[in-house]
Order: sequence, then structure tokens, then C-alpha cells
Amino acid sequence: MVRALLAGAAGNCGCAMTARKPEDLRSLGDRLDAVQKANAARDKAPPPTSLGVAFRFSTEMVAGLIVGGGLGWAIDWATGRWLPFHTKPWGMIVFFILGAAAGILNVIRAARELNAEMAKKDGD
Amino acid sequence: MAINPMEQFAVKPIVPLHIGHYDVSFTNQSLWMCIVVGAITLFMTMATSRRALVPSRMQSMAEISYEFVANMVGGAAGEDGLRFFPFVFTIFMFVLFSNFLGLLPGSFTVTSQIIVTFTMAGFVIAMVVVTGFLKHGIGFLKLFVPKAPFLLLLLLVPIEVISFFTRPISLSVRLFANMLAGHTLLKVFASFVIALGGAGLLAPLAAAPMFLIVAITALELLVAFLQAYVFAILTCIYLNEALHLHDHH
Repeated sequence: MVRALLAGAAGNCGCAMTARKPEDLRSLGDRLDAVQKANAARDKAPPPTSLGVAFRFSTEMVAGLIVGGGLGWAIDWATGRWLPFHTKPWGMIVFFILGAAAGILNVIRAARELNAEMAKKDGD
Repeated sequence: MAINPMEQFAVKPIVPLHIGHYDVSFTNQSLWMCIVVGAITLFMTMATSRRALVPSRMQSMAEISYEFVANMVGGAAGEDGLRFFPFVFTIFMFVLFSNFLGLLPGSFTVTSQIIVTFTMAGFVIAMVVVTGFLKHGIGFLKLFVPKAPFLLLLLLVPIEVISFFTRPISLSVRLFANMLAGHTLLKVFASFVIALGGAGLLAPLAAAPMFLIVAITALELLVAFLQAYVFAILTCIYLNEALHLHDHH
């Protein structure tokens, strides 16, 4: 990206750059690229801390339970209010279990993402 | 000696205001949101005002943050995801500055309020849903249908739908809980320092929690950046799904 910017500056901006030759800029761009490549490993996003991983998994699981339970509760409430029959307590029971399943699915996906990330990092 | 470690999260009105039944007071929360936005604006405009070919340190910082987010969006959401760069960059900078400014002693951490993080996560998900429907029409719903026999789909589709709706919650709770936990921990250890410092002969022991505070502050700096990064990268991942309907199996 830096290089593209520099190339653009060298190509179409004759304004303040008249004193400098495009070759200078190109070599500067090359050097910048080299430095960036050398620092690429250092500048990468830091690996997640174990606390971060724990937070990630627990929130995924809890969020599943909250959404599932909440949805079931809302269905029970809504059917009791607007329909001649009510589903209490089955909506909450069924959706709580579905929510737990969704939570586990989320955790598995998060773990898979993390593993892939780790593998990529080890590969470099 | 009662030091309430949660007191730092209390939202207090500075300029009380009421419109109808609604309390729209200008609070310390609003003040710090303004400070965060002001700080970002100041930083970006100052850093880019000279637009030197060989950047100064300030300009380098602005360019690095720009490229960091640009690479993140490009990598996680693809080339056509770059249209959402301004959105992701705004979110990233706001969360990052809120987290960092919150670490200043006596300041207020905007992102330690669940309503703030939940609003942002809600916007992200709304963006994803709108993008998905605009790009794929009703076909966006295919996101919720994994490859499976029909009978299993009866079970799997509700699970996928619930899983989708957990996103705003897990996204917001993660950021909020990290900030809340870190700042509470700092306050708790700080109260140990005070309690031990006033304990006569035991007073030298106060150095131990003091040292821990320094270590935790360093850790919190990492967490502050990491959480901003996680929030932004997850935004990109969700946008990527809406754009390309990848199924994640």
C-alpha cells in the first residue's frame, strides 16, 4: 500500500517533488517494503491471551443459553397473550435446549477458528 | 474502610435534562464519549495535516492504524468487503480509544457499559442483515440452512437461527465483561494497597499489591487493544458471511 502511494506520488505529483527523482522514491519504497517485510512477524496481531480465550468461549455459550431461553420465554408469553392456547412451559423448555445446542455450536466454531489461526501462525 | 470497586462505573448526570418522560441528561458517560470522539478526530487530523512523504511519528501512527484495519478488512471480508472499511475503522478506533482512555486514572470507561457495546453490536448485526438481504435477496436465508437431510433440518435451522442471534450478545458481552473485569480488578488491588498501608507494622506489605497493579495495568493495555481488534475482526467475519454466504463447515 505504501508503495502504491509512493508510486502515485512519484507519477502524477510534480508539485513539491520536483527536486526528487522518481528513482529515489522507488528505492525508498523498496527499502520501506523490505523493512515492513522484516517487521511483519512483529506487527502481527498479538496471540489471544488465555483469559481472552476463556472469555470468548464462555460468552459464546452463555449467549446461546440467553437467546434460546429468552426466545422460548417470549414465545410462551406471546402465545398466552394473543392465541387461544398457550405453550407454557414447553416453548421455554424446547428453546432453552436449542439455545444450549446453539451455544455449543458457537463454541465449536470459535475453537475451530482459533485453531486455524494458531496453525496459520505456526506455519509462518 | 469501604471502597466500592463498582463505583467507577456509575453513570452520573452532569447537566440534568428531561424531555417528556425521558431522562436525556448529559452524563459523565456522554462527556467521555465526546472526549473519545474528540481525541480520535484530533489525532487523525493532526497526524495527517502535513501529509509528508516521509511521515512523522504521529503520521506513522495514523498510517499504521489505517493499514492495520485495511489489511484486516481485506483479509477477513475480501476485496468487496473494503467498501465497509470506513464502518470498521470507525468502530475499531472508537473502541480502541475508549479502552485506552479508560485506563487513565480518574477517567470513565465508555466501553464498560453494556448498553454502549450492545448498541454497537446491534448496529453491526443490523448492517450484516441489511447487506445480506441487499446482496442476495431472500437467498440470504440460505445462511441458516446447513447441508443435511430434511428431517434434521427441522432441528438444525432453529439452532442456526439462535446461533445467529447470539452474535450481538456475545460480541457486546465480551467487550463489556473484559473492561468491567479489568477495571474492577485494578480497583480491588488498589483498595488492598490503601488498607495495608494503614495497617501499622504491615504497611510495607502494601508494596505487593502495588506491584501487581503495575503488572495488571500492563496486561490491561494489551486487553484494551486486543478487544478492539476482536470486535473489529468479528465485524469483518460477519460481513464476510453476509457478502459471500460462506457456510462455515
